[in-house]
Amino acid sequence: MHHSLVRRYAVPLASVLLAACAGNGDGLNSNGMPAAPGSAPNTPLTANFQSIQDNVFTPICVRCHSGASAPQGLQLDEGHSYALLVGVPSSEVPSRDRVKPGDPDDSYLVQKLAGASTIVGARMPFGGPYLPRSTLDIIRQWISDGAAPGTPEQSAKVALAVTATSPVEAAVLERAPQQVLVAFNREIDFSLVNATTISVAQLSEDGRAQPIPIGAFRAVEGNPAAVLLLPARPLGDGTYRLVVRGTGPAALADLSGNPLGSDVIVEFSVDGAP
Amino acid sequence: MSRAHPLVAAATAVLALFGAAARAEPYLAVANGYKCGQCHVNPTGGGERTAFGEVFSQTTLPAQHIDTGTDVWTGALNRFIAIGGDLRYQFEAQQVPQQQTTNEFDLEQARVYLSASVIPDRLLVYVDELVAPGGALNREAWGMLWSANHTWYLKGGQMYLPFGLRLQDQSAFVRSVSGISMTTPDSGLEVGYEHGHWDAQLAVSNGTAGAAPTSNGKQESLQLQFVENRWRVGAAANFNGANADGSREMYALFGGVRTGPIAWLAEADYIEDHSRPTGPGGQQKQLAGLLEGNYALARGHNLKVTYEYLDPDRDVAHDQQTRWSFVYEWTPLQFLQLRGGARLNDGIPQQPTQHLHLYFIELHGFF
Repeated sequence: MHHSLVRRYAVPLASVLLAACAGNGDGLNSNGMPAAPGSAPNTPLTANFQSIQDNVFTPICVRCHSGASAPQGLQLDEGHSYALLVGVPSSEVPSRDRVKPGDPDDSYLVQKLAGASTIVGARMPFGGPYLPRSTLDIIRQWISDGAAPGTPEQSAKVALAVTATSPVEAAVLERAPQQVLVAFNREIDFSLVNATTISVAQLSEDGRAQPIPIGAFRAVEGNPAAVLLLPARPLGDGTYRLVVRGTGPAALADLSGNPLGSDVIVEFSVDGAP
Repeated sequence: MSRAHPLVAAATAVLALFGAAARAEPYLAVANGYKCGQCHVNPTGGGERTAFGEVFSQTTLPAQHIDTGTDVWTGALNRFIAIGGDLRYQFEAQQVPQQQTTNEFDLEQARVYLSASVIPDRLLVYVDELVAPGGALNREAWGMLWSANHTWYLKGGQMYLPFGLRLQDQSAFVRSVSGISMTTPDSGLEVGYEHGHWDAQLAVSNGTAGAAPTSNGKQESLQLQFVENRWRVGAAANFNGANADGSREMYALFGGVRTGPIAWLAEADYIEDHSRPTGPGGQQKQLAGLLEGNYALARGHNLKVTYEYLDPDRDVAHDQQTRWSFVYEWTPLQFLQLRGGARLNDGIPQQPTQHLHLYFIELHGFF
């Protein structure tokens, strides 16, 4: 009886299914879209947002993460992905940004792709294949570099922001730092960097701030989006406040004149300095 | 051979009134002529099992029932409160051309269900919580009020939406492309109708699939199904206007039929997404299909063969994807199932990830 069933149903069924095979990809680029005549194939994956979009988000993630019903509202097609990733709290863990520029370890996107124990729900891409370590490393590198947008148009949509400082907020240092670092998400107008736009002050016990003279402000070699402050004298024991002005006439701005938008304040302590 | 516990014997007799041996999930319903609500507290299926579903899964589903000498587990802690759960743990290997093969042990999911029949047979409060991996994540949380004759119900809260087959494999094309699955609940209201061979649902929800709600519009889902003992057919439509960039319309035809030892499932989805103007008409049109055969080799043994088809953009030629799945399910004892199989993807040669070959062995515990 079972053999007759197989003959009766399986053979015609198999014929129909074999007729509906996968596409051969003729005339398509690696994203499954028609390739422009004479266009080059996609460039290899690099730590650049456009490259990540072309090699990861569009070909892999967009099948589910697109349109009105994109899971968690996260649309990863080219028109939406950057604006919905960088600096945007995740839906599953709202205390964590999907992409936190300068901090891949604390970026929920990286955690979801790596299957970290801190995530909620399934590892992505859902059902696999999971991204190889080399791809994940490149995404991490892009975030470490400040998670810059890939094109000037995308860049203009994103507000200038401080992505990292050293020392970090609430740090307690056993040795006085020789320098203070402030990193931004894109190149700033270095002509605006001075003791008014970026300052360090020591806080007294009654809360008053005593300015610390800065011997020099230096650009970081190879990274125009970061500034080094060299104090004129070693920082003694105490609590310090770093202020980056983002508002008012003395606001720090990028090369297009877009100001930081708000003051950034970071406090740290030195305990045990000679 | 041990004697069957009287309760087990009674339960088996009750089951026998409803149909022959059955196996699992939507194909189980097809194999037995059941509606989803026969075995699940949710009328549209999935999640906590009813007392009937619990007894069924212990006495009819497994190859062997171990008589513990105690009452059959029904999930009921008392007259009002019931609990349940599912745990899936697997070892899987993934092969992708041009990439190193990966393999790992993976806790796919651990879920717990809690329901409170605060007014028995009329008012139910229900929670489905994913407790692992990672932090806890609420999947469903709703209240449901039944009419006195148990024909109509009103459900409100976070819920899975009615659209097509509620498959266990959430990565199936019809589930991932439609965006409606047991990974994407939505908040809203659902009105349901259950009478005779018919069931129907109309749901209005935020349409943001877990993200913050918007004021752009809402999502409406309508589903109608006719269930016969040997076959069933259903149709569903979904309109989502929550995205400011454009709406999304989806239509599904689905059904099932039992031919001897084989329970067949089929679904075809057509999707038009106006928020993704890739096509000449300013929209992306997609087509996804599934055809599945479940061969009941013996009691407690099921061979599942699934063919899936995806055309990710109807206006683009030569971009189709397919997936074959071969899964063997063995339920040796009550509360325990072992699954193993392969999922073989095929797609355009330019994209290696569309050629994923996934092999897995899964331990599925449920109660």
